[in-house]
Amino acid sequence: MRGGTTFRKVSLGLLVAAIVGLATLPMIQRYATDGGFVTNSTLFNFTQMFMLIIVASSWNLTGGFTGYVDFGHGVWFGIGAYGTGVLMSKLGWPFPVAVAGAVAITVLAALLLGGPILRLRGPYFSIAMLATFVAVREIIRIVKPITGGGIGLTLPPYLNRPLFFYITLILAVVVVAFTWWLRRTQFGLTLIAIREDEIGADMRGINTTLHKITVFGLSAAITGLVGALWAYQNTFIDPDIVFVDSRTMDVIIAVILGGLGTVAGPVIGAVVLFWARDIIWANFLQFHLIVQGIVLIAIVLWVPEGIVGTFSDRSGGTTLGRLMSKRKGEPSSDEAVGSPDDEPRTVSS
Amino acid sequence: MSGIRILDARSVTKRFGGLVAVDEVDIHVDQGEVLGLIGPNGSGKTTLFNCLTRVHNIDGGSIEFKGKDITSKKPYQVARMGLARTFQVIRVYGDLTIEENLVLSQQWGALPTHRSFTKAHRDLHDKAAEIAEFLLLSKHLRTKAGTLSGGQRRLLELGMTLMPDPDLILLDEATSGINPSLIETIKDRLAVLNNKGLTLLLVEHDIRFISDLCTRVIVLNYGRKLADGTPDEIKSDERVLEAYFGDDGSTDVE
Amino acid sequence: MDQLLQALVNGVMLGGFYAIMVLGFSIIWGVMGVINLAHGEFVMMGAYGAWILQESLGLDPLVSVFIVFPVMAAFGYAIQRLIINRIIERPHLISLLVTFGLASIISNVFKLLFTATPRSVEASIHGLWQVGPVTIPKTRSMILIAALIIMYSLHMFLKHTRLGKSIRAAAQNREAARIVGIEINKVYAITFAIAIGITAVAGVMVAPVQPVFPFMGPPLTLRAFAITALSGLGSIIGALFGGMLLGIIEVLLATFIPGIGTNVGIVSSFVILVIVLVVRPQGLFGGLKAATT
Repeated sequence: MRGGTTFRKVSLGLLVAAIVGLATLPMIQRYATDGGFVTNSTLFNFTQMFMLIIVASSWNLTGGFTGYVDFGHGVWFGIGAYGTGVLMSKLGWPFPVAVAGAVAITVLAALLLGGPILRLRGPYFSIAMLATFVAVREIIRIVKPITGGGIGLTLPPYLNRPLFFYITLILAVVVVAFTWWLRRTQFGLTLIAIREDEIGADMRGINTTLHKITVFGLSAAITGLVGALWAYQNTFIDPDIVFVDSRTMDVIIAVILGGLGTVAGPVIGAVVLFWARDIIWANFLQFHLIVQGIVLIAIVLWVPEGIVGTFSDRSGGTTLGRLMSKRKGEPSSDEAVGSPDDEPRTVSS
Repeated sequence: MSGIRILDARSVTKRFGGLVAVDEVDIHVDQGEVLGLIGPNGSGKTTLFNCLTRVHNIDGGSIEFKGKDITSKKPYQVARMGLARTFQVIRVYGDLTIEENLVLSQQWGALPTHRSFTKAHRDLHDKAAEIAEFLLLSKHLRTKAGTLSGGQRRLLELGMTLMPDPDLILLDEATSGINPSLIETIKDRLAVLNNKGLTLLLVEHDIRFISDLCTRVIVLNYGRKLADGTPDEIKSDERVLEAYFGDDGSTDVE
Repeated sequence: MDQLLQALVNGVMLGGFYAIMVLGFSIIWGVMGVINLAHGEFVMMGAYGAWILQESLGLDPLVSVFIVFPVMAAFGYAIQRLIINRIIERPHLISLLVTFGLASIISNVFKLLFTATPRSVEASIHGLWQVGPVTIPKTRSMILIAALIIMYSLHMFLKHTRLGKSIRAAAQNREAARIVGIEINKVYAITFAIAIGITAVAGVMVAPVQPVFPFMGPPLTLRAFAITALSGLGSIIGALFGGMLLGIIEVLLATFIPGIGTNVGIVSSFVILVIVLVVRPQGLFGGLKAATT
């Protein structure tokens, strides 16, 4: 904590300045001659970046704080998007009501699925979520009467870039502030305790199931909200553009790049990833996902602490570093309550 | 043995596949006593602990705690009833500070309330500070538990069990891998606690530790109860000596 | 009744493919403790191998197998040395993230090279056998036979050769294997090479009955995970029964529930997996534990 307070004041000041600066962008577009340097595409890009920040922060609640690394997080985005899509185009609900409905549907789905899936641990949870993602995409394809199947749905067009810019900006500030606050509450501490040692937490009186399901639903709600907004902004949805495999990977890379389990990590990671990718995207469109894969491997193998971890002096290392340095046989996974040792690894016939 | 029976387990049986790890064991703990549970490695001590704290579902028998049947309760419910424990392999929340570790063990994170705004929270933090002082951990209150030494983490674990004012504490090898001076500290703290009326059940390898603290000792071997008596009776029991130093050489192979 | 019989036969055929497809995944997880999320991409590479060899040299998949196996085994060896070796014996999260990245790289490289257009491969043995009321597609039965042959060979290899014994020893206890003089890193590299070779062969075998495209991998990886988790890590017989079980269930669902394609097989496999893991954490064949609370 060397020079902690000054550093904090300076970074908080910079953060506020950055938010205020960003908030003026649509004004510049509106009042400057020819929009100044701000174009609709600038606003659109920032909106996408805010969305990535929000989703990354919500993913970090389960993956970073609670230690349940979710490989299918895009499913909540997709359900949120389809929620708005169906409610608006099939039932003709107005946008705000449809968004609320979409979030409610997402939370309901998360609570229903979370019951069984959160009983799985470690890689079993991660991969069950990946399967959920793939499965929901297929289900959306199948129930054509509701979702339009592979053809997709067209939403009432509404092109107002500044509106989406402000909604997502405010949401990003609110969500990040919320995670910052949550991390400091008893609830947040409990999530960390579950990550560090779930069995121990259970045996010390913590209702781990309740906490896991709550945070899972919360994370799904936030991501579902982003999906709901995205669908309306995009005005068209189909299974392939909503349930893109790479969306979950973007989120995971953003969080790990920034620093898993930290509040600032998802924000920094999302900003860096978004602009780095924008440069790559612009120049080598077709290599984008290949580079993304290489980046993921490189971060995991060489910079597991992420940006936040590398530039701070946190004792005891960061979450990913901790989760990674943990050997499989060590406590805080299921073994070592005294029951026989490691995962049995055998080859038999 | 006088006093109220605080824990009463009858014919507890636990199987893992074909192996009977705990075989019809009767065990009871009376209010205020320090009961030792010993036995060669693999004799079922930790499994019995896990059965009592509801980590394992038992395959037979019943467990009563403070007169209530807990056979089908969840581990966290049993903990909230006042049955606390430590673990053979130390379990603390490495990324949280000592203070946070202690506070969580009482508060159970039920509500997302902000730290230290309410009186209840201030009391909780005062209590955590008090317990940390009792266990000589005061100066590490803001240190992350993951950076403590093994002995300090043992003490912290003990502190975490103390936070919710339990009626019974199960200690699983509180001295293993700890340097001798800290063992004395732990022993001393346990004696103080027992004098204040806390009931303890210890699994221990250190026989001296057991005979210094315990009023009664139970010996397990191959999942069965082999003997039950005062430390002196146990020390002179033929069957116990046979189990420990007999032909199977299982004393130090897990 | 006939429909049920037909569905069962189809399920067994599909199960044959799953069994051979899952073997490599199961062995890598069992021996190295690495959960390979790029598994389906190796199947995809094998399938493209069959397509390339047919387009360029006109080879039948049954012949291509003998070219694809060594090539892909060599590729697997290289990948093991380059990447996988760094993540062995480390927590699952690392292997998941790294192989997740690897999967993205492989599938997108193939998209770049061959576009996303689905390709098809012709097998010289095709057509149908009519046995009573049941029709048996010849190509699929070839896959089943090949699966059984490969499994038997692998079984004999693990059981009777020196190298096979080293692999089993390494899986049981790494330290002990090292003490008795097994070069553990070499064993790992060879194991990975063989596993990838077999996986690619599965891809060659399936190429004639399924469209070949860069993104065919993830559903296969998910099935491989489900089957392995159900049937026990590194168990050959488990892979066979797990694969059959999943194949039969998928086909039955697709046959008797209208509107459900085999694409939903993943749903069924994971519903089964979650139920089994929650009810019986050690898996069906006792190979697994500690998956749940």
